[in-house]
Amino acid sequence: MDNQESIVKAPPRPEASKTTLPQPGRPVPSRAYPGALIVVEGTDGSGKSTQLYLLKRWLEIGGYRLHFTEWNSSPLVKSATRRGKQKRLLTPTTFSLLHAADFADRCERQIMPLLQGDYLVLADRYIYTAFARDAARGCSHRWLRNLYRFAPVPDITFYFRAPLEVAVDRILSGRPKLKYYEAGMDLGLSYERAESFKLFQARILDEYDKMVDTDNFVVLDGTLPVNKLQKQMRDIVASKIDLKRFASRAPEAE
Amino acid sequence: MPDQEKEKPVPSAAPVVPAPPAEAPPKPAAAEPELNQFFFGESLVGLDPRELNGTLIVIEGMDGSGRSTQIALLQEWLESEGFSVQTSGLRRSNLVGRDIDELLAKNAVTRLTLALMYATDFFDQLEHRIVPALRAGAVVLADRFIFTLIARGVVRGINRDYLTGLYAMALRPNLTFWLNVRPETAFAREFKKAQAISYWEAGRDMSLSHDLYWSFVRYQTMIKRELESMAKRNAFIELDGEASVPAVNKQLRQRIAEQLGIRGSKYAPSSALAHLWR
Repeated sequence: MDNQESIVKAPPRPEASKTTLPQPGRPVPSRAYPGALIVVEGTDGSGKSTQLYLLKRWLEIGGYRLHFTEWNSSPLVKSATRRGKQKRLLTPTTFSLLHAADFADRCERQIMPLLQGDYLVLADRYIYTAFARDAARGCSHRWLRNLYRFAPVPDITFYFRAPLEVAVDRILSGRPKLKYYEAGMDLGLSYERAESFKLFQARILDEYDKMVDTDNFVVLDGTLPVNKLQKQMRDIVASKIDLKRFASRAPEAE
Repeated sequence: MPDQEKEKPVPSAAPVVPAPPAEAPPKPAAAEPELNQFFFGESLVGLDPRELNGTLIVIEGMDGSGRSTQIALLQEWLESEGFSVQTSGLRRSNLVGRDIDELLAKNAVTRLTLALMYATDFFDQLEHRIVPALRAGAVVLADRFIFTLIARGVVRGINRDYLTGLYAMALRPNLTFWLNVRPETAFAREFKKAQAISYWEAGRDMSLSHDLYWSFVRYQTMIKRELESMAKRNAFIELDGEASVPAVNKQLRQRIAEQLGIRGSKYAPSSALAHLWR
């Protein structure tokens, strides 16, 4: 084991030790970089995306340096995800790995450089989405926690909690047809999509609830009126993050 | 209702797949000993390893060590002995095989993303190609396995525990051969094959040297050291990859014949493969 450790500690080339990228294997503490990371999480239909959009508008109008990032948005794995979904090739393991590859790309090329560059980073869904959804599919917690060890720990994680019925109604009424994986049909919970979706979401909600304490979620009531929730969110951000530091350094050239 | 039964298949006390050598690596969290007979520490979601009655044979070795030649010959020999054979290898999955090719061609990918794409490729083949074949009692010949993938990540500075954790759900092979060659020999063979050395074979993403030959040799030496460090714990059967093709093939056949209970291991390639027999 001794010589194995020394190989890890002594990277092949000297520049590697100076890298700004996270060293996979150790969680990246928020003090390791100057920026700040704000994350929203919650089941589908919990209202989190609306709230993050409003928070982003507030910060943009205030002139802060920020960047917004979404789960599953990189072109890198888009074709593979599409192919996997169309042909139903994805298993719980490959589904999870493909999303992790996508996240790693975003993490190494966007999130970490921006945090190093002293930006506010707003993330619509983060690794907790994978923890909840993939654990609901049967992946082991230990394996999942290891898989995402390279991700920086958020400064604030807002968890929008809505009762299952509310969330499910919002989705079912807004969407003509649920997709196969979205409804968790691959789990064989029910032949009926809406029913399968409900059962799948119940499992996900369960997994989220388990993380409230272990991962310091700030729990918000997703059933409150939009503007009230937004007020709570802004107050918390202002109290936990020194926003002055993210004010534009130079006045915009006109 | 969540059905817990599906989540973790518990292997029985009477395994069908032979147990690996006693020196199975101790895992940080105590996994059941039965589990480690089949996997590297965690069970694959939805798989009951008791259903598997085929044989998984892995051939490891650097580029130019003669793996693909030996696999082609072994497949012919096994088929002539009446065994059904399935093969697997890196970047051959339906899910992401082509995507990885594209990423490599564009060289527009970070080391961690690439490692995770290879992991996706590996598990897609494991679940859709290797496991079904083992269920049907076939012999699977795997052209490289998790060991090369772990080695490649480690030499690029990715934490070793991270990588072994990633592949903890891989099936343990029944036999793992390692065709060991010197990087210098491998270079000569690879160069002869294509009249050039590829960017990735030479590990050029690691900026080891601007000289392609030295880059290749240094990179492959690092990979070789990693495989060496895994050899004992994983019961690699080391063969001298610099010996002649028939000589290496004979050793492979003897060991495999023993494993499968084939009497005698005589073989001469058909005319289709005769050109490999030199």
